[in-house]
Amino acid sequence: MRIYNPKPQYVPPLNFSLVEDGIYRSGFPMPINYTYLKQLGLKTIIYVGDLGHDRKKEKKEKDKKDKDKKEKKEKKDKKDKQSTEEIMQKYREWIDTSTNITFHNLLMESSQEPFNSPEILKQAQESLSKALQLVLDKRNFPILIHSNKGKHRIGLLVGLMRKLLQGWCLSGIFEEYEKFAMGKSEFDLELIECWQPELWVEDEWKPDFVRV
Amino acid sequence: METSNVAIQQQVADNTSQDVSKGRKIVRPPTLRIIPPLNFCPVERQLYRSGQPSIINQSFLQQLNLKVILWLASEEPLDDFLEFCNDSNIKIEFVGLIDETYGHGQMNPWDSLNEGTIKKALELIVNKDNYPLLVCCGMGRHRTGTVIGCLRRLQGWNLASVSEEYRRFTGARGGRILVELLIESFDINSVSIDPERLPEWLK
Repeated sequence: MRIYNPKPQYVPPLNFSLVEDGIYRSGFPMPINYTYLKQLGLKTIIYVGDLGHDRKKEKKEKDKKDKDKKEKKEKKDKKDKQSTEEIMQKYREWIDTSTNITFHNLLMESSQEPFNSPEILKQAQESLSKALQLVLDKRNFPILIHSNKGKHRIGLLVGLMRKLLQGWCLSGIFEEYEKFAMGKSEFDLELIECWQPELWVEDEWKPDFVRV
Repeated sequence: METSNVAIQQQVADNTSQDVSKGRKIVRPPTLRIIPPLNFCPVERQLYRSGQPSIINQSFLQQLNLKVILWLASEEPLDDFLEFCNDSNIKIEFVGLIDETYGHGQMNPWDSLNEGTIKKALELIVNKDNYPLLVCCGMGRHRTGTVIGCLRRLQGWNLASVSEEYRRFTGARGGRILVELLIESFDINSVSIDPERLPEWLK
């Protein structure tokens, strides 16, 4: 027996938690979190969000439209977008140069419920299916799944996992979603309830927590 | 940037189609629905936290293959819960009932845990012989939160993240400052640890 000497300080990312053995969830990891992330020995990171995708075309059109009206506001938005894109770029550099992590960037816009267009929903479902498919293969473990704040998009993914793969009751799923959304539970819970994506599993690589 | 994204998306597509050719299709969620206990959450590998499980949580708990339950409430758990643990060969450690100053059963349920109790709880947690392990109290909020908070400090987490996690489980009325103070001031060096018995994630 000995007296334990504390390790150096770790700062886990925002809204960080273990989901199941080998799966972690969180908000967007920043440089202050890298030391903590490193010791998790991650093999895969799945990001569901809207950063790091080519939006030039979209932006140009938008610029033209709004040019006269909200020029001031537009400038501000643009600036914010640029700095987050820069953060994304640095994050990718960190992953590529100082880790062996495979990174999956799955596009999913933040919800504008009730005004979500069918295209946005379709894109979200496509990305969520891909993420679930990656979670169904334990060769990808340990995995970190994250969004920007670790509330809604990841809450949705974890909720789908709980229902489709583990068979949790919906009230338990909603309780967990709410914990991380912190009173801002806003969207897409009906997607957890109603949607059955097409998923495939190889029994050899099926994680232990999966009950299908 | 652009090209690497394309490559990644391609990679995902390949992965998926490979599964399509080999795997088994999942057509529906598992038929038997399982109900997690109130405030349930995995903490680390084979370590879980929750409020007091009830009879409806039994099939959920069976999935966890628990060896030990760390009971932190000052009251005795319900009879059907004791029975379930007995039938499933789960050992219950009644850490919360023990109080050195007043003896058994003399504590108020709303009192915070004392340092001795936290120390005892942590010493059970840092011993992998007790795993899979569930830490729980009545609601899974403050007592469980105190012990998990002190465990996080032992893991070297910064205090702001420890509080964030504690508050996540405290419900609408929020965290108690006394609990946070207890976590902050707890002397983690007082916990005796056998390095041989440490769980992997604590090494």
